[in-house]
Formats: sequence, C-alpha cells, structure tokens
Amino acid sequence: MPIVVTGLSHHSSPVEMRERFAFSNTQVADALGQVRQRGIADEAVILSTCNRVEIYAATRESNPVLGQALEQFLYDFHGIAPAPAHALYTHLEPQSVDHLFRVSCGIDSMVLGETEILGQLKQAYRLAHAEKATAAQLNKTFQKAFNVAKLVRSETQIQRGSISVSSVAVELAESIFDSLKSQQVLVIGAGDTSEKAARALRSRGAQSILVSNRSHDKATALAAELGGRAIGFDTWVEEFQGVDIIISSTTAPHYMLTRDKLESLLRQRGHRPLLLVDIAVPRDIDPDCNQLENVYVYNIDDLQSIAGQYIEQRKAELDLCKRLIAGKRNELLDSLQAHPAQTNLGLREKQVGS
Amino acid sequence: MLYSTFLWRRGFHRDNWINFGLLAAAFVLHTLAMAKRGFTLHHCPVNNLYEATTFVLWTIAAGSLALALLPKLRFLGVFTAPLLFCVGLFALWPGLDAEYIDNIPNFSSDWFKLHVPVILLGYGAFGLSATAGSMFLTQERNLKFHRARALFAILPPIQRLEKIITYTLVIGLALLTAGVGIGAAFVEEDATFWGDSKTIWSFLVWTMYCGLLVSHLKFDQRGRRYAWSAIVAFGFVILTFWGTNLLSDIHNPPTP
Repeated sequence: MPIVVTGLSHHSSPVEMRERFAFSNTQVADALGQVRQRGIADEAVILSTCNRVEIYAATRESNPVLGQALEQFLYDFHGIAPAPAHALYTHLEPQSVDHLFRVSCGIDSMVLGETEILGQLKQAYRLAHAEKATAAQLNKTFQKAFNVAKLVRSETQIQRGSISVSSVAVELAESIFDSLKSQQVLVIGAGDTSEKAARALRSRGAQSILVSNRSHDKATALAAELGGRAIGFDTWVEEFQGVDIIISSTTAPHYMLTRDKLESLLRQRGHRPLLLVDIAVPRDIDPDCNQLENVYVYNIDDLQSIAGQYIEQRKAELDLCKRLIAGKRNELLDSLQAHPAQTNLGLREKQVGS
Repeated sequence: MLYSTFLWRRGFHRDNWINFGLLAAAFVLHTLAMAKRGFTLHHCPVNNLYEATTFVLWTIAAGSLALALLPKLRFLGVFTAPLLFCVGLFALWPGLDAEYIDNIPNFSSDWFKLHVPVILLGYGAFGLSATAGSMFLTQERNLKFHRARALFAILPPIQRLEKIITYTLVIGLALLTAGVGIGAAFVEEDATFWGDSKTIWSFLVWTMYCGLLVSHLKFDQRGRRYAWSAIVAFGFVILTFWGTNLLSDIHNPPTP
C-alpha cells in the first residue's frame, strides 16, 4: 500500500519551471481521471499552488515504478519534453507521508510556518474527493495531515509571531495600548510600508487614522482608503495632542521630530504612552526621543530584528515539529497496515459505477 | 517559587498552566490550614502577627489566581509567587505565632470581627497592585530596550497593567478605609487613640495610598514612576507592619 508523491516546489525549481507544470482547477479534474484511467494509480490528489505542483498517489499493491510513471504523466499531461533540469522529485513511503505532513504544517513553505498552504491542501483534497479520486488510503492520510497541522499549530510555536515589519508594528502597539480602538494613529509620509502598517492597525481595531503627506492629493487618497482624514504636511503638530501612534516614513533628509521638539509637545499632551514607529531611511525621529518617559521609539532595524527573531524562533521549533510528524506518521502507517482490506474499496465502486 | 524564576528567565513564551496549578494547589492547602485554625478558634484567624501575615498572603494568592483566569494574565502567578514565598518565610519567624488572650477589653464589640479581616483584605489588594506593578516594569523595560521578548511574552499590554494597578489600589483603599473606620467607630472610649503608633501608622498608609491614587487620577502620574510607587508603598507596608504592631498599646493591651 505505497503512497507516493511526485512533483516540484520552490525548493527544487524556479517559477519559470513551476508555471509550466501548474494545473488549473478544470485540468485537475481531467488529470485525476487520466491517472486512474491509465492505471497509473488507484487514488490521487493533485496540489497545484504558486509554490508547488504535486501529485499524491496511492496504489493497492506496491508498485516500484509508480514514481516514474507519475513523473512521465506530468510531462505528458503538460506536453513538456522530459529533461534532467526539471528536477521533479519523488518521495516513496514513508518519506511521502512525512512530506505531506510537512506541507500541511507549512514547514516546507517558503515562509516558514505559513498557514495558507493548509487551506490550499484542503481545497485540493476536496476537489479530488468530489471527483471520487480518493479512497481509504488517501482519505485517511489527508485527514491525518489536517490533524497533524492542527496539532503542530497548538503544540509548537512554528506559526506564532509577526514576521513582517508592518505586523511587528501592530504587535508593538498591542503590547502597549489596552485597546487599539480608542487610539489615534498618525501616518506621516504615505509610503508603501507605512500604508501596510496603517492598514494592519486598522484591521486590528484602530478607528481614527490621520494621514499627512507632502503631496496632499496622495494623503487624501490614502486617507479615503483607510477611512481616515488627511491633514496638512506642516500642520500635523497641531493634531499631535490626540495622537497615540505615529508611523513615519518621509523622505526628509533630517529629523522631523527631535527630542527637544517632542519634549515641548509632550508637555501639552500629558503622559499617555506614545509609540513612534520610524520606518524612514534616513530616519525621521531622533532616537534620543526613546529616553523620554512613556515614549517608545522603534526604527526599521528594530522592527526587522524582531521579525528576524520570530523567524529564528520558528526555526527553533522545527525539531519539535519533525518529532510530532514522525510520531503521527508511524501511527498512520500502522493503522493503514492493520486494515488493508478497506483500501480496496472506493475506487472499484467508482469504476463499476462509471 | 523556583519554577517562577525559571519561567522568568524563559521569558513567558508559552501559555503555562503548571505555575498556575502549583499556586492553586498551594492556595487550596493554605485555605484548608486557615479554615482548620479558624474553626478551632471559632473566629477568623487574624489575631497575631503570623495569622495576619498569612491572611494577607492568602488574599494576594486568591486575587492573583482569579486574575490569572483572564487572558494574558496567566503569568501573574509568576510575579506573586516570589512575594508570597519571601513574606511567608518571614511569617514563620519564631515568636510571631504567639498565643493571645481572648477577651481583650478594647475589642468587645462584634464589629471588631470585621475590623482586622477587612483591613488585611485591603493590604492584600495593595499587594496585588505591587505585583501588577512589577509586571508593568518588566514589560516596560522590554519595550523600551527593543527586546523582542516584549512581543514573545504572553503578558498584557502595559496600559492594561496600569489600569489593574489603579483598580487594585482603589479596592485596597476602600477596604482600608472601611476597616479603619470600623476600628475608630467602635473602639472603647478610654483608648488613647492618637498617641498609638499603629493608628498613626495606619493613617500614614492611608494617606500614602490616597496620595498615590490622587497623583494618578488627578495629576496624570503614569508609567514607570506609578508602578514603582505601588511597589514601594507595599514594601513600606510589609516592612513596617510588624514593628508598629508591636509598639502599639491599643493593639497589644497590657495583660491584666
């Protein structure tokens, strides 16, 4: 009862290659039918995303050339001449099961621990299931893979934390302010990253967003998108009293906010905490501002270093994930071996029915 | 306590029930011991220094366990455990658990059964504000120095901690006011009220906490200074509680 996976991913091939092998949804249904009609495999699931194209297949009896047959099928289906440079990989049992589990947990992904792949995997399985291309073996295996993903999510920290600059900024805001709802955000300089950060803050509850930009039109456009209000580039100081979070990314060659200036501004504002996120290079905010009471200044390096540490933390969890996966893989293979009779169902019915 | 230190060093990454469980188990045992003592004595066990101290600790433990049920406050126990341990050790000092005379003349009214426990509950609330304060300082420091553990840690936002400090201070002050009020209203006439070291001390504590709250609510005293004040104030209470108690004539009437 071998389960085999054949395909290519961002680890093995560049996008120019992956796109040639990619399946559209309608192609997937067609391909699933062909795999079984040609007698290559009894069960199959095709996963086609921007980072990987993979066929998971299972046969009733062990078949030493199943991997090669699947590779050949991929070439034939897409009309590509086989070449060694294509770097298709094939994993046999038990590595194939390990591989599926890793994919489902996001530890084979480009962004370690991302969760989007799990949804894509579920979608691929549903499609194959609807086409009646799966039976006991792959049903069990995929269900197990979804369970493992859930287990890894709850037992490890592989998916925890922000690994982009804008989401780190949001997390910072959330560890300072009780609730983002009542905080006022001021975006100075409508750049790409500041826009992302503002959007992220908004999605986490921030309701009041002010946008200040040298070109007022751009400020108005961004404010409209964020449901905020545009204010004059030189008049943001007037609004300062109500502001709790500033995201600054202007192209100004000097500090927009020096310690002396902030000190005098703070006098009117009271001692509410103030988060200053400076993603501009050269910097907009004098780093000395951080020494003021209740003021927290983070520049682009601070944010990137935190994101980097989150990635390190995820990497540190890899061993634990692999151990969990190995345990679950053994469980699955034992149970598949214990009930081999079940594996003969499903496909036969489909063949008889059709 | 040891486990707390361990968790502290680990940076509070994972949601952790072990510390909570240990504290809860200790709390149950503590409650049992106190109930036993209370039933044997037929009153709330708060009549000598040992009992009073353990009662305050019990209140702190109860409060932090209750707060630990809220999300992100699970680690409050980590901050209370060292305090409980140190003060608890001190309460075991020989001589503090002295036998006492039951019918103290000044305390005949039934209201006095409330006087002591209510005040001690108040001190418990002050103790909680101090632990919330230390949590605040830890997290504030992490944020100020751009340590990633500020985000890794499952700790509440510092603004929420500040609110917790204020709430516990308000509760503590209300209880202290009520307790002292009961004492003043029902004390026997002949007691020399204002010359007593403990009444003066209580008044001092009351003024101190009142001042702290006013400075926060009225004059916008916030952040690190506020958290430090809550800790220092409770430190003052803990360190001077014993001394003034022993000096007081009303609270230690000469044996007839």
